[in-house]
Amino acid sequence: MIARLGLLRLADSLPVLVALHQGKLAACGVELRVSVEPSWSNTMDKLAFGALDMAVMPPSLVLAAAAGLRGPRTRLLVPCGISRGGNAIVLGDDAARAAGYGADADEIARRFAAWLRRQPIPPRLAVVHAFSTHALLLREWLAHSGAGPDRDAELVVIPPAEVVDSLMARRVSGFCAGAPWGDEAVLRGAGRIVLGTEAIRPGHAEKCLAVRADWARSAPGALEDIRTALAAAAPICADPERAADHAALLAGPPLSLPREATLAALCSVPGRRPDFATGGALQGDAAWYAAQLSRWGWNLGEHAALARAIFPPLIPIETEAYKSR
Amino acid sequence: MLADENAARARDLAQVLSADPQIEIVRLIAGTALLDAVADAEPDLIIVDMARPDRDALDGVRQISASAPRPVVLFVDEDDPGFMEEAIASGVCSYNVGGLAPADMRPILRAAAALFRRYQLAADGWRAAEAQLAERQVIERAKASLIRERRIGEPEAYRWLRGQAMQRGERIVDAAARRLREREEKS
Repeated sequence: MIARLGLLRLADSLPVLVALHQGKLAACGVELRVSVEPSWSNTMDKLAFGALDMAVMPPSLVLAAAAGLRGPRTRLLVPCGISRGGNAIVLGDDAARAAGYGADADEIARRFAAWLRRQPIPPRLAVVHAFSTHALLLREWLAHSGAGPDRDAELVVIPPAEVVDSLMARRVSGFCAGAPWGDEAVLRGAGRIVLGTEAIRPGHAEKCLAVRADWARSAPGALEDIRTALAAAAPICADPERAADHAALLAGPPLSLPREATLAALCSVPGRRPDFATGGALQGDAAWYAAQLSRWGWNLGEHAALARAIFPPLIPIETEAYKSR
Repeated sequence: MLADENAARARDLAQVLSADPQIEIVRLIAGTALLDAVADAEPDLIIVDMARPDRDALDGVRQISASAPRPVVLFVDEDDPGFMEEAIASGVCSYNVGGLAPADMRPILRAAAALFRRYQLAADGWRAAEAQLAERQVIERAKASLIRERRIGEPEAYRWLRGQAMQRGERIVDAAARRLREREEKS
């Protein structure tokens, strides 16, 4: 069975690479074909029109695609989570100094909101997609401190691989993006990480596996094999002893991530690095993201029902039986 | 608006579309951000190379200008999902900015998809030709090494390679590559 899976150039693609590396999927007769996509739009269009069977995506984008917020309504299912947390809010030096470090999320947000309001024109902050977890978490963080995300700042969409250059060139004052792009910004001297998004919503779901519903129906066995392989890869990905190997894997083809920044991201403190160890049910996260999309004017219609339908309750995975195969 | 950094393809498509006097074509200047260019030119329709990484900026945009508030939406030909699959597979999509009727947009996207498909086939053909050329070079090098070392003629060298390939049930190029690898390991 061939499964075409879309990935973006992000560190939380790691479980897919590790699962492939282990080779057990091939032994089960599942040929996982990874396709590195240039943008979330590309991923969603290819899912919608059958050029991909599945993709690693933020749950908020899955909801948007399923609700038809950005194109055709796409019938998707989420069989499992991939990662939690791991995004960084990065600010250029001026803003970072004003926001300060080390304080709690609320205190940093209050100082940053005050800095935003002092600027003659609303500073630009970059996110990777209007409906991404980064955008929604950043909006929540700003709003919680009393800043208007669309009044005191201007949120712009910039591809993750270009966001560091944009900060470097001062086209934006900061950004919120997934690993390793926050650490890459630090290493290149473009800015500083003031906060991990874990501090905004502890343990927030970040990436999940989204599968076309018709593919899932046509290949339930293969889907279960993929789910099991990803579950078996999760504890390996979470092992800090293997961070150097994992950085090398992510820096090689097909993702070619910056190696040093990837290693820094995988080795950063718990709560800042992507957390691969926790799977867990996603319904609560999905309902929260659905509510956030609606809050900022992208109405999902019956969002609670949609979140429930796409993100089924947790089904346990028998990884022990899998290992012995 | 044509947003395609492949200059030859954009030129060809502009030529095809300019046959229709109703269509005015704006080309996106290389290096310009898609959303900025769209805000400047305020086109009715955007034809986009799907691989542009800045395409994400068009999602969720509710209005492109304050003077004429127009949302940006991915154009989907609901009457013909098969055609949409072909267009996406050929690497092109389009966005509707404001109120063009599907009937007006359909032929434009069809022309674009046909052209993108032609370029894709040409690129595939190129890759196949390059691979064939590389294979031929491997065979030539293996033959040359055989001619040199065994002091045999070219037809014999070729027969030797073919014999090796047949024994193992592989292609001649594989036998040639193996021979070259073995020589390198010895030296």
